[in-house]
Amino acid sequence: MKFTICPAKPEDCKDIERMIMELAVYEKMPDQVKISHKELERDGFGPNPFYQCVVAEVPEEHMSKDGHTKVGYALFFYTYSTWKGRTVFMEDLYVMPEYRGKGIGKALMATVAKVAKEQHCVRLQFSVLDWNKPSLDFYLAKGAEDLTAKEGWHFLRFHGIALDNLAQEAP
Amino acid sequence: MDKFILRKAEPKDVSDILRLIKELAKFEEMEEQVVLTEKELLEDGFGDHPFYHCVVAEVPKDKQSLEGYTVVGFAMYYFTYDPWIGKLLYLEDFYVMKEFRGYGMGSEILKMLSETAVKTRCSGMHFIVAEWNTTSIEFYKRRGASDLSHEEGWRLYEIDKCNLLKMSSK
Repeated sequence: MKFTICPAKPEDCKDIERMIMELAVYEKMPDQVKISHKELERDGFGPNPFYQCVVAEVPEEHMSKDGHTKVGYALFFYTYSTWKGRTVFMEDLYVMPEYRGKGIGKALMATVAKVAKEQHCVRLQFSVLDWNKPSLDFYLAKGAEDLTAKEGWHFLRFHGIALDNLAQEAP
Repeated sequence: MDKFILRKAEPKDVSDILRLIKELAKFEEMEEQVVLTEKELLEDGFGDHPFYHCVVAEVPKDKQSLEGYTVVGFAMYYFTYDPWIGKLLYLEDFYVMKEFRGYGMGSEILKMLSETAVKTRCSGMHFIVAEWNTTSIEFYKRRGASDLSHEEGWRLYEIDKCNLLKMSSK
C-alpha cells in the first residue's frame, strides 16, 4: 500500500487529536486526555513550537472505514542530557490498527531518527507501558534498551494540586 | 547559611555547571557516562536555539566551598509536551553540593521551578529518579510527587546513536 510521511500542518491537528485519543484508549487512559486540536495548533505551530509531528497519509482509494486518509503519526521534541547532550524524545507513535503491518510505523520512526541525526542528537528516548508487548517487541527489534530495567529509572511527576502547592510556597 | 541566591545561569557558569553535572553523575554511580563538554554546554544552552534552561545557586565569597567554589547548586530543565495535557516542565538535573545541603537550597530551587511551571502554563513538572535513590524519592514524595512507573507502568527506553543511524538510513 502506498503511503507518504510528511511534517504535520495546522490543519492536521483534528486528525492528530483523533489519533491521540485512539492511542489513549489503547493505553487504557482515555479520561486523561484533556487537550484538543486548538491547544495542539497553538502549541505546535506558533512562534515557539513545543513539539514536532510527522503524519502518515494514504491515497483516497485506501481511506479508512470512517473516511480518514491520515492514518498514523509520531509526535516528538528535543530534550537534553547533561551526560550526552542533545536527545530526541518520541512522545507518541501510532498507526491505526487497520493500517498496521505495512511498514508505516517503521517509516514514521525512521523519519524521527533522520531528524535526530540532522540535529546532531545522540539518542532517541521514549516510554512504553510495561504490559504493551506488541510495542515492546517492535522497539526491541530496532535495538531499544529498557533503561528502567537496566539502570532503575522511574518517571515521577508533580501535577495538579501538588504543583500548585509547591509553587505557592515560592519566595 | 542563610545567604544564597538563585539566578538564571549565564555563559560564564558553564564550567561550574559541568563540574556539578559530573559530581551528580558520580553520586548516581555513572560518572564515566558524562561525555558532554563545556563547549557543547555553551552552544546548546546559550546559542540561537537553547536546548535547556538552567538556574544556579550561589553563595557569597566568604562562604565558598573547601575548593573555592561559589556556585554550589544547579537545576537544568526544559519544556516538553504531553499530547493529553499539553506543556510540561521537565527537570533534567537537580543538585546541591554535599557541604551545602540542609540549608533549604534544594527546596528553594524546587519552589522556583514549580513557580516557573505554573507561570508558563505547564500542566505538570516531570523528571526521572533512580529507584535506589530513596533519599531523593522521599524528598519528592514529601512534596506531593507521584511515581508514574510504579502507578501506571511506564518504562524508559532508549535507542542509541548507532541504531538510530541504522534506522534513518533504511
